[in-house]
Amino acid sequence: MNRFLTKDFLSGVMFVAFGAVTLYFGQNLAIGTAVRMGPGYVPRMLSMILLGLGLVICVLALVNGGEAVEKPKWKPITLVTIGIVCFGLLLERAGLLPALAVLILISSLAGEEFKLLEVIGNIVVLSILCVLVFKVGLGMNIAVLEGVW
Amino acid sequence: MELLHNLALGLGVAISLQNLTYALLGCMVGTLIGVLPGIGPVATIAMLLPITFHLPPTASLIMLAGIYYGAQYGGSTTSILVNLPGEASSVVTCLDGYQMARNGRAGAALSISAVGSFFAGTVGTILIVLFAQPLTLMAQKFGPADYCSLMALGLIAAIVLASGSVTKAIAMVFLGLLFGLVGTDVNTGAQRYTFDIPELSDGIDFAPIAMGLFGIAEIVVNLERHLTRTGAIKVTSLWPTREEIRRAIPAVLRGTMLGSILGVLPGGGPTLGAFSAYTLEKKLSKTPKMFGKGAVEGVASPEAANNAAAQTSFIPMLTLGIPSNAVMALMVGAMIIQGIQPGPEVMTKKPDLFWGMIVSMWIGNAMLVIINLPMIGMWVKLLTVPYRFLAPAILLFCCIGAYSLQNSTFHVMQVGIFGVLGYIFVRLGCEGAPFLLGLVLGPQMEEYFRRAMLLSRGDPMIFLERPISLGLLIATAALLVLMALPSVKKAREEAFQEEG
Repeated sequence: MNRFLTKDFLSGVMFVAFGAVTLYFGQNLAIGTAVRMGPGYVPRMLSMILLGLGLVICVLALVNGGEAVEKPKWKPITLVTIGIVCFGLLLERAGLLPALAVLILISSLAGEEFKLLEVIGNIVVLSILCVLVFKVGLGMNIAVLEGVW
Repeated sequence: MELLHNLALGLGVAISLQNLTYALLGCMVGTLIGVLPGIGPVATIAMLLPITFHLPPTASLIMLAGIYYGAQYGGSTTSILVNLPGEASSVVTCLDGYQMARNGRAGAALSISAVGSFFAGTVGTILIVLFAQPLTLMAQKFGPADYCSLMALGLIAAIVLASGSVTKAIAMVFLGLLFGLVGTDVNTGAQRYTFDIPELSDGIDFAPIAMGLFGIAEIVVNLERHLTRTGAIKVTSLWPTREEIRRAIPAVLRGTMLGSILGVLPGGGPTLGAFSAYTLEKKLSKTPKMFGKGAVEGVASPEAANNAAAQTSFIPMLTLGIPSNAVMALMVGAMIIQGIQPGPEVMTKKPDLFWGMIVSMWIGNAMLVIINLPMIGMWVKLLTVPYRFLAPAILLFCCIGAYSLQNSTFHVMQVGIFGVLGYIFVRLGCEGAPFLLGLVLGPQMEEYFRRAMLLSRGDPMIFLERPISLGLLIATAALLVLMALPSVKKAREEAFQEEG
């Protein structure tokens, strides 16, 4: 087993990375004094603690070993994220219906089973439901189809 | 009697048509997600946060509370009938509940768990009423330093009682605190970590973070796993035998007591309550061999405990503004979205909201018995809906909900980003709950810290000089030291192994 690919070591690396990033981007915030703290005082303190904790976690993980990370399955997380991004891009440009259809289509691909007819059925049912609930019911200010309704 | 006066006020608020409707809605949604495996109350409440934005504060909190305790009821139904815990807190119910069902006692198990839960919920509600006022009065004496220490204790205790690595959980709290800092600094107006993105100047909105971390990440993890469904056991008669009732009553009482105590503790809550209650029953029983083979006590006690704990976990949140678990952190978030700062002032400044919510919890519990028992057939049917239909639908509601917060697609993108982050957390075994607690408490904690330091002219000794603060800090330190002791560490690991 590779001792660098454990859950603990990698999460330590993640904490160190977050601590370093917040420390770096917080460096131009004024620290002030302990009496009159500037906007940077607390962020700097927290970043350093996080950095320290991350290092401790890394070292402990290397010494003790630990549970290996499972091999990630890329498909669901990638497709779900792409679906959300597409929805965000399409909603205001094209309207609710196209955004909804694309999101459902892409996220259905993320599952293990994919039957086109079922997905189309799902899209139709959810479209009707969403238009009724959000457009007619709650009166949300979104276009169902940009430029048409 | 001021207490009766308050309860009357609460009753008046709770039985208004609007609030009754939302309580019922919350209970229905709660039961629904309790029945459906693969989606829990944390994810649901996170995803419904945007909707509450459009509701009046009292109605939205009543609904969210309903979801939380409704899920405890719904989870037991599937545990008993299908051997599938819909909820983490009903995992133990599977052990004996499903066995009872296989012995032909499904109806008895269901009614005992529903009535036991109702009893426990009632006791929990009474406890909230009794403890709310004294705790609130006490909290009003707190200075900034005391508050800061109280929050530190709350955060640390929440970690210690939760499962998983303590060091990682502490790091997650600090990460949450840092995320809470994003936005305009209240004291100086300086922009912190906003990267010149105008949407970030008010801070990262709580709802998209919660939706991404809990909602999206949970969907993705479920899509990776294969959720299999088995047929449900038919329910015949709902009536338990006299012998079953005789054995259930003391178990329900013990479960209620244990659950009520564990619910108040930071990091406690329904799951811890249910597991401890089961262990206790097994130890007290004269026939421990019966456990796992359909012992009535093994259903009655944990079911009572998880419901009692679900109720009493509201106590620290409502009186002190300190959330004791992830659901309570979301409730705090929901209050902040409504412009209410949780804490001791809620009771004095918004008595209608406070007492209305408490009374509605009791009404909600009564509704749940009705929803659950006669309508069991319908809930079980829902189990047959495949996840491949549910996942896209849930995702869609998440996205529309995020958009509706401020009619901005920026929030939708945030949901996506935090979904990825949440997924990374899950894969690395880092828990989301401590992060959320840190995020919710971060801004307030910084405020109190800075105010305390200003009052003491920069002398950190103020945290040790004030007796309340000192006591709280000693308790925090004691908890941390206790955790480092090898024997405690081992016992804790074993306790959580039993859960998994």
